[in-house]
Amino acid sequence: MSPNFKLQYHFILIFLTALRGESRYVESQEAADYDPFQLFSANLKRDLAGEQPYRRALRCLDMLSLPGQFTFTADRPQLHCAAFFIGEPEEFIIIHYDLVSIDCQGGDFLKVFDGWILKGEKFPSSQDHPLPTMERYIDFCESGLSKRSIRSSQNVAMVFFRVHEPGNGFTLTIKMEPNLFPCNVISQTPNGRFTLVVPQQHRNCSFSIVYPVAIKISDLTLGHLHGLQLKKPSAGCGGIGDFVELLGGTGLDPSKMMPLADLCYPFHGPAQMKISCDNTVVRMVSSGKHINRVTFEYRQLEPYELENSGGNSIPEFCLSSL
Amino acid sequence: MRLRLLVSAGVLLVALSPCPPCRALLSRGPVPGAPRAPQPLDFLQPQPEQPQQPQPQPVLIRMGEEYFLRLGNLNRSPAARLSPDSSPFAAGRGVHPSPNQAAANFFRMLLQQLQRSLDSPTRPVERGAENALGGHQGALERERRSEEPPISLDLTFHLLREVLEMARAEQLAQQAHSNRKLMEIIGK
Repeated sequence: MSPNFKLQYHFILIFLTALRGESRYVESQEAADYDPFQLFSANLKRDLAGEQPYRRALRCLDMLSLPGQFTFTADRPQLHCAAFFIGEPEEFIIIHYDLVSIDCQGGDFLKVFDGWILKGEKFPSSQDHPLPTMERYIDFCESGLSKRSIRSSQNVAMVFFRVHEPGNGFTLTIKMEPNLFPCNVISQTPNGRFTLVVPQQHRNCSFSIVYPVAIKISDLTLGHLHGLQLKKPSAGCGGIGDFVELLGGTGLDPSKMMPLADLCYPFHGPAQMKISCDNTVVRMVSSGKHINRVTFEYRQLEPYELENSGGNSIPEFCLSSL
Repeated sequence: MRLRLLVSAGVLLVALSPCPPCRALLSRGPVPGAPRAPQPLDFLQPQPEQPQQPQPQPVLIRMGEEYFLRLGNLNRSPAARLSPDSSPFAAGRGVHPSPNQAAANFFRMLLQQLQRSLDSPTRPVERGAENALGGHQGALERERRSEEPPISLDLTFHLLREVLEMARAEQLAQQAHSNRKLMEIIGK
């Protein structure tokens, strides 16, 4: 080979080698720019995961609807405190004790209740909850850190606490976990839409709306066994078989509310009812033999609708209690 | 006669002698993260930082408190005194307080309403009874009370909706913050 050719050959070789590295860098940049799945990239997930969890101080009387870390510190003796937790309908609530500094022998306590309880009335009711009432309370002073993480059975839970000594308190971490078949739900909002599905389970499920609402049931399916739609209604309403009932009342416990309507025939047309009660509940009673489903929409009643008693509304029972 | 006189004098001396201050020692349970050493608690000395807080009371008042907390005093509706017009939200609509301040004001007022409803009209009499009972009995009562679970809180639906809406607003604000962070990361 001639020296000139050798020189040119080496020069070209070096140039190509350098370009290849550079082009590789350029390609990787371009690939990143045009990545359609950038949202799911590992870098983005790491950036989002590095975000600090939501934190704030817990008040003596509080309501929490988002996950995070919450710390209660008594600045003075706090003897009657409670915090409500509520998630989306399709979520469980997990309460984790990060740090607890209370004097159990001195009369302090910290108890988690599986559900909500207001004026002695529980949601879910004793009939609709898998656990007996006393087992729904988990007392930190009895169980200690052996039950450090507690998962609710529905989208609501609450904690009662009493702290005498200023400076004492506790820190909780709240997380939400998916619930594939929500059974007992309290709605966070006065307006919404929900489909309650009970897949061949012998249980009663309630959807509670703590507002006076107009409910429109658009679809009710009672019994769908092996692909066959039952043509005959379930064995009657009146507490027998599978059915859906609308309840209204002034308390939280569905078992103490007034039944306003029973639905035991499958239908697809919208059926609307205005319920001017403090609490409205759609409750599905299932024998476990069928897959039952009910879809409904609800919206808060306007003030003028609460005053009018015409139409398909039942105001007398509830207005008399207000 | 002389004996009778001596007995009467002795009874008078005992009745009129000053009672020593009652003290109780609080012992810390085995709780992790408890940094403080046990400190004596004097029930008789006023706590200037807490003028409105109920001091530890004898059994009757405590049972009254438990009853109120347990069953919800259906005869009294202290929360009903908190009318919508008097809520800090209604008052603050023209002033526009910050959301956190408004929430703190609301909860502070709600808590004061609930605690004010627990004040008994016979409290001065109960304080005298407490002096006579002594400190160690107070510790036993606290322990007994701690074994009784509070079952519920007396809260009206109106207040429940207020706190529910505040929690919802907090959730939306946090969601907006997360969305903003997400857009900043995507935009890099």
